[in-house]
Amino acid sequence: MTSQLEEQLALLPSRLSQHLGLSLVALAVGVALSVPLSLLAVRFRVFRWVVLTGAGVVQAIPGLALLALMVPGFDLLRRHVFPSLSAFGFWPAAAALILYSMLPLLRNTVTGLRSIDPTLLEAARGLGMTSRQTLVRVQVPLAAPVILAGLRTSVVWTVGVATLSTPVGQPSLGNFIFSGLQTRNWAAVVVGCVAAAGLALFLDATVGLFEAAVEKRSRARAWVATAISVAVLLLGAWPFLASRGPSPVRIGAKTFTEQYVLAEVLATSAERAGLPTSRVGSLGSTIVFDALVSGELDAYVDYTGTIWANHLGRTDVADADTVLAEVTRWLAEKHQVTCVGRLGFENAYALAMRRDRAEALGVKTISQLAPMMAGLKLGSDYEFFSRPEWKRLSQLYQLKPAEQVSFDSSFMYKAVQSGEVDVITAFSSDGRIAAFDLVVLEDPLHALPPYDAVLLLGPRADTHPGLREALQPLVGAIDVKAMRHANELVDLQGASRTEAARWLREAAHLDAPK
Amino acid sequence: MIRLEQVTRTWPGATRPAVRVDLEVKQGELLVLLGESGCGKTTCLKLINRLVEPTSGRVLLGGVDVASLDPDTLRRGIGYAIQGVGLFPHLTVAQNVAVVPGLLGWSRAEIDRRVEELLELVGLPPATVRDRLPATLSGGQAQRVGVARALAARPKVMLLDEPFGAVDPLTRDTLQLEYRRLHSQLGVTTVMVTHDMTEALLLADRIAVMHEGEVVGLGSATELLRGPSHPQVERLLGTPRRQAQALAHLLEGVAP
Repeated sequence: MTSQLEEQLALLPSRLSQHLGLSLVALAVGVALSVPLSLLAVRFRVFRWVVLTGAGVVQAIPGLALLALMVPGFDLLRRHVFPSLSAFGFWPAAAALILYSMLPLLRNTVTGLRSIDPTLLEAARGLGMTSRQTLVRVQVPLAAPVILAGLRTSVVWTVGVATLSTPVGQPSLGNFIFSGLQTRNWAAVVVGCVAAAGLALFLDATVGLFEAAVEKRSRARAWVATAISVAVLLLGAWPFLASRGPSPVRIGAKTFTEQYVLAEVLATSAERAGLPTSRVGSLGSTIVFDALVSGELDAYVDYTGTIWANHLGRTDVADADTVLAEVTRWLAEKHQVTCVGRLGFENAYALAMRRDRAEALGVKTISQLAPMMAGLKLGSDYEFFSRPEWKRLSQLYQLKPAEQVSFDSSFMYKAVQSGEVDVITAFSSDGRIAAFDLVVLEDPLHALPPYDAVLLLGPRADTHPGLREALQPLVGAIDVKAMRHANELVDLQGASRTEAARWLREAAHLDAPK
Repeated sequence: MIRLEQVTRTWPGATRPAVRVDLEVKQGELLVLLGESGCGKTTCLKLINRLVEPTSGRVLLGGVDVASLDPDTLRRGIGYAIQGVGLFPHLTVAQNVAVVPGLLGWSRAEIDRRVEELLELVGLPPATVRDRLPATLSGGQAQRVGVARALAARPKVMLLDEPFGAVDPLTRDTLQLEYRRLHSQLGVTTVMVTHDMTEALLLADRIAVMHEGEVVGLGSATELLRGPSHPQVERLLGTPRRQAQALAHLLEGVAP
């Protein structure tokens, strides 16, 4: 536990400063946009209604959805307007946070400016102030406490929501939380939450110090607040300033244990070949693919069936070799993505249930299960029910479960073990199948395509000399038993992903002496 | 000095003008615009510094049509004090007084000297009040600061809108007398709005009595009291007359 905590704390400085940089950019742009919008809103009634309603609607969209929506949005922009724009990472995350930061700023600025005693405005005009001077010398200072209160709310919200930028490819303190939840590393979750809350409170207190300085007209407070702000800005600017030097090999991972372990294995191989690396974890399944295609990522591991169904849109099923060949050709022709080869194991979707339940029901295949499904609960991860595989599986076998429940995939196995659900859509390489004594039901109609793990290289991977050669030995090196055990080390035995990766490299003889 | 020449002002949507006046204020004169609320006296005042623009006619200041001047520059050259004082609560007394000199770009030293001089002029000890915020002043002190702020840039013309409205009668009396003294001492031309006939009679060189947007009586206190005049003037004079008679009666009894 302590070694896990130490490992997480070592990651804290870089993620903290990335989180801070993202939040500060979002807040700065949010403030820059809110000020002119508020001024117009104070003057024009219809505009005020439009702006405040719009900001309210944005606020009502769940943060994760708003962030995820930015990816297709930026992708459209990239394809039609700015080809150099990235649909992934910093700017989509910042755009969502900017929108999120604006409601409290707009609402408080408008309210503050509108609640000023009209006698004072008349006095200002009567003394000969221009409308600009009235604004700067009278309206803004008088509304300042209300505006600053809005800024404080906005700071706390933005820093909190910024943890959700991890799945769109922007590293933040959310990486601790997302990867910690997936790999059941509670130390990581706690580090992420405490750091995000601490950062929010700290920034809030800094703005509060400015507020007090304005209110009490205290120069000392203003200086202290300014000094703290400069330090904060430098820390936030660090990732932008420090990102010089040779660009690292960027290795992606989706949101489950196996992906984190494999990303670590890939990164180690690249590092052994003398290449600097950076790991971008906890990406949504389509986001990681889009990032590879656009050259934001250089390598990650995907599964042939996923590409076949989700990206090629195929609803039929073929044997493993045909699927691999077609996927490889499509990737190369359509996206300049190289499929280096199979790693040697499959991580297929499979229906699984507790052995005692299966025996009691006398079920060995999905066909036998189908007629009983109307009385059973089916648990799955977030994705499966909206994937084409489920459509095909449920149609072919006429599966109509009594209830469909979506879980975080690490909780799904617990749910079937405890009897909360009867059947789950397990992953065939998961260590918990053996550990929880689950049985995998046969698929006699071949409804589910093969899911060979394959190593993919992005169109810009060749800008890193030696990368392809460094990763080549992984092909065919990892069998399903080794992968299951590595997953089990993390999911059930509390090992860190680096420990699991080290074990897997040994088992696969990747570091064998030359 | 100030001429409102056949000036009317009609509010959007209204059928008859809120103000229809033809009026001249002489150099060095203290003219009071007197009337009940809604009679158009404040609008008349605001026509002079262009806080309100005329619908027809023109306003001349020293022979120049004010419509030809930049409104902000015009206002910086005219002292303006309003009902409720309108001191900026986030600025100190000194900073409030320094607003117009600041807008005119005076030097720091010059402004400091002027603030000192003005606070003394309106009877406030500069050392103790200059750094206070308006919220810590009494009503009478705030009114004095308001007058000091209006006088700051040595205007030739002062516009006062019920400047002594919100203070107790004793302080009010003192402030009135002091303003009369300042007016004569500085040689300014003052237009003052009030609904208080006694205030008008005691302070004014001439009184313009307004009713439904028009001037219905114009003259010195004695001229108006001598009558005969418009019924509205008689009505407004009724109260101070009765009070004066009652007071005179009471004073007769105690006279030595």
